[in-house]
Amino acid sequence: MSTDSTDGTDGPVTEEITVTVNGEPVTAAVEPRLKLSDFLRYECDLNGVRVGCEHGVCGACTVQQDGRTVKSCLSYAVQADGAEIETVEGLDDDGSLHPIQEAFHETHALQCGFCTSGFVMATKELLEENPDPTREEIETGLADNICRCTGYQNIYEAVEHAAEKMEE
Amino acid sequence: MKPAPFTHHRPETIEEALELLEELEDAELMAGNQSLGIVMANRLATPDHLVDLNGVDDLAYIEERDDEVRIGAMTTHRTLERSDRLADALPMLPDAAGQIAGPSVRNQGTVGGSLGEADPAGNYPAALLALDGSVTLRSLEGTRSVPVSEFFIAYMFTDLREEELIESVSVPTDPFPPERSGMAFVELKRAAQTFPTVSAATAVRVDDPTADDPVIEAARIALANAADVPLRVEDAESVLEGEPLSEAGLDEVTELVTGAVTPEGEMHADREYKEEVAGEYAKRSLESAYDDALE
Repeated sequence: MSTDSTDGTDGPVTEEITVTVNGEPVTAAVEPRLKLSDFLRYECDLNGVRVGCEHGVCGACTVQQDGRTVKSCLSYAVQADGAEIETVEGLDDDGSLHPIQEAFHETHALQCGFCTSGFVMATKELLEENPDPTREEIETGLADNICRCTGYQNIYEAVEHAAEKMEE
Repeated sequence: MKPAPFTHHRPETIEEALELLEELEDAELMAGNQSLGIVMANRLATPDHLVDLNGVDDLAYIEERDDEVRIGAMTTHRTLERSDRLADALPMLPDAAGQIAGPSVRNQGTVGGSLGEADPAGNYPAALLALDGSVTLRSLEGTRSVPVSEFFIAYMFTDLREEELIESVSVPTDPFPPERSGMAFVELKRAAQTFPTVSAATAVRVDDPTADDPVIEAARIALANAADVPLRVEDAESVLEGEPLSEAGLDEVTELVTGAVTPEGEMHADREYKEEVAGEYAKRSLESAYDDALE
């Protein structure tokens, strides 16, 4: 790795960061180029953060940072120093699914499931800001996420179903 | 898809950022990272240093003055999209901001980043050209203001110098008083997360919105992704000025815009198609702006 050094010393240069991940503080020394997505997967073992395209197109790596969705492959871990991150693993309540997760399950809004955690996180922000979205608002609200299996119809239905559940 | 190594710098003031830019060899400014991150993931850019502007709070604001609105470079698309003051004074800007990608990109991406990237398909360059905006550039030597019409030089190439950063953009509000003006930003896009094929930014001011046939006093037409820089079509604007909006006027505009643009063909839209779309979208955008002026 010595060739990866930018300051002339041996080995990669690291920075120490502390990030609150799903409510727990995590401190680690990371290379500045480490993506937030890889930090969450490899340093925090949170494999619900999916790495699809790794350049901001697919949305599978969507998480919340300080309450806002971000594509974690377009953010470096050092940028999350001091921030609060929530991943799909942070949604469950002592083993029971979040209403959005239940709705995706019940509406069969997934086939292979690779994109699902990203969609669930995008849905969370959408419904937090707009608890009763129209179909068009759901489509634009999920515009950063790609699913290659479902054709989206069941996903949109799941969001409507989740909105009903969360209203209860 | 991993970037090459770099050193990360997080200045907290504009001065600190400028000193880093001056000191460091091969440094890039990082704003929302929604485009630079892609370029670096593909190793099309491998800077040794990133000067991360996300800690510079002084660069994120929307400020209304007497006859202009000033927007800090690190203001996110999300903030522009949801600004009530902008929706009232310069509705084209929230309209353009809200059509960029999806919510998670808009949470991070910034107006300064978009201008610095200078992709001719970007939304702000065309919108700000239509609105006669200016870009304020700052270095340790001082600040200078460059009209948007001169800022974009060629494809992804601007007047920004290596030791400068984009501090803000300003847009005059007096040419288009909200009570008798309308604006629209209309884009053709085959998928939300891609750049649009062509976009049309238009504004009109009428003499009296309650008249039977309100006469257009001023019109602006700018296109995105229709040339290697955002393109304003002044010939087409003057066709509309001094008359109420008419079918004949719109037909002439469509023809003039189609003739004025010089787009590159791309995979899903060849040159001829983009020329026609530019004319058609200029027309649709103007119809919408005129309706908006009369409301």
